[in-house]
Amino acid sequence: MLLTATVGSFPKPDYLVKARNLFSRKKISEEELKELERKATQDVISLQEEIGLDILVHGEMERGDMVTFFAERLEGFGISGPVRSYSNRYYKKPIAKGKIKRTSPSALEMFQYAQGLTEKPIKGMLTGPYTMCDWSFNEYFQTRRDLVLNLAEVVHQEALDLDKAGAKYIQIDEPAISTRPDELDLAIEAMKIVTDGLKAKTISHICYGDFTTIYPKILDLPVNQLDLEFANSDFTNLEIFKDPTFTKEIAVGVVDVHSHIIEKKEKVKENIRKALEIFPLEKVYIDPDCGLKTRTPEEAEAKLRVMVSAVKEVKEEMGLR
Amino acid sequence: MLKTTVVGNYPKITEDKSAPNLRSALNKFNQCKISEEELEKAYEQTIRRVIKEQEEAGVDLITDGQIRWDDPVTPFARNIDGLEIGGLIRFFDNNVYYRRPIVKSKLAFKDYSTVEEFKFLKQNSTKKVKAVMVGPFTFAKLSKDEYHNEIDKLTLDLAEILKKEAKKLEEVGADFIQIDEPSLCFSPEKIDLVSRAIKIVTEGLKAKTFLYLYFGGIRNLIPKLFDFQVDGIGIDMVSKPENLNLILESSFNKELILGCLDARNTKLQDEEELLNLFDRVTQKFSPERIYISPSCGLEFLPHQTALMKLKTMVQVVNEFNRSGRD
Repeated sequence: MLLTATVGSFPKPDYLVKARNLFSRKKISEEELKELERKATQDVISLQEEIGLDILVHGEMERGDMVTFFAERLEGFGISGPVRSYSNRYYKKPIAKGKIKRTSPSALEMFQYAQGLTEKPIKGMLTGPYTMCDWSFNEYFQTRRDLVLNLAEVVHQEALDLDKAGAKYIQIDEPAISTRPDELDLAIEAMKIVTDGLKAKTISHICYGDFTTIYPKILDLPVNQLDLEFANSDFTNLEIFKDPTFTKEIAVGVVDVHSHIIEKKEKVKENIRKALEIFPLEKVYIDPDCGLKTRTPEEAEAKLRVMVSAVKEVKEEMGLR
Repeated sequence: MLKTTVVGNYPKITEDKSAPNLRSALNKFNQCKISEEELEKAYEQTIRRVIKEQEEAGVDLITDGQIRWDDPVTPFARNIDGLEIGGLIRFFDNNVYYRRPIVKSKLAFKDYSTVEEFKFLKQNSTKKVKAVMVGPFTFAKLSKDEYHNEIDKLTLDLAEILKKEAKKLEEVGADFIQIDEPSLCFSPEKIDLVSRAIKIVTEGLKAKTFLYLYFGGIRNLIPKLFDFQVDGIGIDMVSKPENLNLILESSFNKELILGCLDARNTKLQDEEELLNLFDRVTQKFSPERIYISPSCGLEFLPHQTALMKLKTMVQVVNEFNRSGRD
């Protein structure tokens, strides 16, 4: 009960940022880069174990952008020049140029490596087909639906790999899902393809959105758990989920990943208690709002410590172990 | 003769290693490795490049590419008392973010936002130039109002402030002023309010004024949209293809900016399709009243594709004009 987790990404250590730079300029080999990615992954795993999280992530040390990482490994995608997302941040956007096919697994290798380092469950991390489509250019498919459904098949194969490899949790992120409420049916249809026949518990993370436009319809998304942000809006969006009743498991984001400020433990505890007034205890997980990669390593660690300690105290106060 | 224009923003960086690199200059400035003067130089070099690229492509009415802007509201929000700059939030249905202004107290004009940069554009261009500003309603919709909590009041207050900006832009030589109101497409029930607000901004201006509506449809805005106090209206023909028929079936009698090239997808338009579209439009409206443009600002595209779209646009328009199809 009240298991703690993180959403997916961790900040990359400086040596890895440098190595990725060197690799992109062909100054170091792929094997050299991978060696450092594995080292950074080990550190992320040890840190999570030491902090006392219940469900771990591998930290996404091998990934840049969550969509581009997969697109680069799929046939049918090209990659554009840099496009600005905000202030001075740029990303390379995938371009769908033909039918999308998978030639080899993308997420499996790092999952297996990370799971081999710990007894605790590691979440298998995937990007959902709707978000893959929404964050790509499309030069080939007649409709967005065609592209989304093609991607759903590909992401399903990725999910099957992780399932077979023993992942207890598979998370399929769909942060773009709240962008166009009129396409929610399509996103649901695609997720049905992705999660079909999986034994693992499935999770979907959704963020940056106006939940009022997608609730309660989003409860039809075929996953066991929704992972949503709350801290970022100071829990004012909690009200939305009061009525009708939330029927899935929920991971409640209790620390803001876009703020340098480390939350006060008392505040986090108060927010957890607030969440427990709306969601039944046995269905609640606690995590940060979103991936931690935009924070410094120190900030990420400090936020997680506050979070874990707050959960521990709330549990004690409730007489839970 | 059909003319060409752009909607506003333009990619700030290129993949050409010899071009001024604003991204790296900003990084260095943030790490205190270069001075403000050096950053300023990078801005000016970049804006000159953007002006030159539009001119060389042959665009008739250009902008400065909004190179100094992080997003369409912050440059204005910064210069208004009573507003704070808030956190990042998604800009419409794009995978792009803007900083949400938060209304904390009564708003008051503090300083001009775009006047200096407009002067720079004017001085450094040989073509006609256009000033662009966020519209009062879109500004209000993109903000979080902790003070009025009333969209009408906020919109009208912002209109009064933007009016000062428009007036000053005209004083320093703006002959064309474009006001962007994408939010109107998604709140058609507010059309009377927006009409009133735009009237406040444009009242008494001698400059030619345009209202641009990107990302959305105009179905529910007709016919009132055509009575707005502006000289022309810009319409996104890509996000909502039905906009073409809606405008063709109307009795619109002002100038038109037709956003025909998809500025949110790298796919290039088929030239024949564009020519057909120009044909249909010019059968109904005099080509002298029409500008062809991308569907919205070009910054959603990587630089090379953006430039290619501009070149394609001008080339097809020239071909159309030469062929005398009109």
